[in-house]
Amino acid sequence: MIGRLSGRRVPWPGVAVLTLLVLLLPLVLPPFGVGIATEVFIMAIFAMSLGLILGYAGLVSLGHAAFFGAGAYTVALLGQYVFNTYLLLLSATAVAALLAAISGALFFRSTGAYFLMLTLAFSQVLFAVAFQAEPITGGDDGMSVVAVPDLGFGEIVGELGLYYMMGFAFLGCYLLLRLFVASPAGKVVKGIMENELRMRALGYNTFSYKLFVYTLAGAMAGFAGALYAYFNFYVTPDLLGWVLSGQALIMVIIGGVGTLLGPALGAAFFIVVQNYASFYTEYWALVLGLIFIIFVLLGRGGLMHLLRAVWNRTLPSRFREREDEMEPEEPAAEHQKERTP
Amino acid sequence: MDISFLVVQILTGLAYGMLLFMISVGLSVIFGLMGIVNLAHGVFFVVGAYLALSVLDMGANFLVALGVAMLAMALLGVMIERFLLFRSYGNELNQVLLTFGLAFVLADVIKMIWGARLQSLPTPAVLDFSVTLAGITFPTYRLAVVLVGCIVAVVLWYLETRTRTGAIIRAGVDDREMVSALGINITLVFAGVFAFGAALAGMGGVLGGPILGMYPDMGFDILVLSLIVVVLGGLGTWKGAFVGGILVGMVQIFGQAYFPSLSLVIVFLLMAVVLLIRPSGLFGRSHAT
Repeated sequence: MIGRLSGRRVPWPGVAVLTLLVLLLPLVLPPFGVGIATEVFIMAIFAMSLGLILGYAGLVSLGHAAFFGAGAYTVALLGQYVFNTYLLLLSATAVAALLAAISGALFFRSTGAYFLMLTLAFSQVLFAVAFQAEPITGGDDGMSVVAVPDLGFGEIVGELGLYYMMGFAFLGCYLLLRLFVASPAGKVVKGIMENELRMRALGYNTFSYKLFVYTLAGAMAGFAGALYAYFNFYVTPDLLGWVLSGQALIMVIIGGVGTLLGPALGAAFFIVVQNYASFYTEYWALVLGLIFIIFVLLGRGGLMHLLRAVWNRTLPSRFREREDEMEPEEPAAEHQKERTP
Repeated sequence: MDISFLVVQILTGLAYGMLLFMISVGLSVIFGLMGIVNLAHGVFFVVGAYLALSVLDMGANFLVALGVAMLAMALLGVMIERFLLFRSYGNELNQVLLTFGLAFVLADVIKMIWGARLQSLPTPAVLDFSVTLAGITFPTYRLAVVLVGCIVAVVLWYLETRTRTGAIIRAGVDDREMVSALGINITLVFAGVFAFGAALAGMGGVLGGPILGMYPDMGFDILVLSLIVVVLGGLGTWKGAFVGGILVGMVQIFGQAYFPSLSLVIVFLLMAVVLLIRPSGLFGRSHAT
């Protein structure tokens, strides 16, 4: 219905494949893999929310962890008094959305590099507050999360239970973003990224559209942070800091800017490499940083672009159209194709 | 309130402000001229300090260590500009991302070479004493840092207003394309500015070593403060970095003394207020772009 309204269908076959993947993945994963996959889902939501403002609204933020951490701390702090999981998730999302709306409204006066600096400074301030307000937040040591996830059918304690909780949260967020991007509002946002002046001349209030998408991304990051608090049982100021913001940025770039699933793919890549590389060397950040630099130098296509190239080459042409439908608009990657010989 | 406490706080704030000035000036001019936020600039500060540590360990004196560190940072700056950023001119987002990746990598390289623990540089023996004047005790080293900062400011003032290079840079901040259209080799200027900025950041790191110490992840902590300095002071001019540095240094030191849990918040509020009144900073010229 909503898909038809926008004139472009949501790729339901793709969604079905993704759902099946989430459902069946634990069958093939080794035991420790389930925990890693759970973390991947959470980080994928976080990275997708950053990918939304980066790839669809052209806003480069280096302080996105502010919202992630705010969500996580909301669950940790409020969870001492409230136990309803739905209520906690909702308040975490609301707190993050509020922070995003306020900071966005203030920061949109500045653009480009100024915006990047302001977001970075904002997240560092939240970091400092969490770090210095020791009586409430436990300071540098962080605090443990006492709330236990319970979605109405008993407490979710097992590894597999958490896996499915995060997996379905991921699917829900993906679907929501898909619907948004395909909606008229999503197209306006994309138009603003490509030429803000023209959209304003057409009569669109570009400020409120940008603020809306920034708030949506912030809310989603806060939701991811809340899930992380449930997953990790523990929150520290690091969840607000630039390292995490930067890691999310790395996930988005490696996965592919301007796609929805790309950042999720990047998150999976990042976390698997992090776990795998830290097995061999403590300098995994070095490895990931170098991979990141290579991807930036190669262009903005990312893993998603590589996959698509392989897919297009190997499959007969009648499938190609369906592929185009799955990831419809792709200015960044298309641009890339023109440039690479 | 104790007067001597107040004076020492002011001196500490000034010294801190000078260090922030030295790192921010490169950041500011690079940003104003090339449109790049060099997110690796904070790491230059830290690498400079660590290099000086190694040189000192070899038995050299402080000035030699300072010179070596500055030279090495200038070289590193040129290499980064030539081999990495040069590839993506015209795509400023990519350049910012590259410097970010670099900061990430360099922080780990530091950990690899010098270890993760907090270290500090010894105060140079010549300056390792205090002067007592009218009952107030001043640590000489901090006075020296303030003095060096002022000398740097004077040199920059001279370079900016009295030399041809300064004129080119001022023009480049206002209109990059026009400058290259006039037949000036702007890429050469870019490389030079990058090297100079990196060297000054390294200098700040070395001079700050005895006061602040250093640790591998320090680059980003100092970067956040210097970004605030740049935003506060305005882009592309040493004046903004100088006044902004002193302002942030003072507020940070006094904040730590009186409201320890809110010091960074106060700095941030200061920036927000200034930006609301003057969106392009205290000394920034409004940019058309």
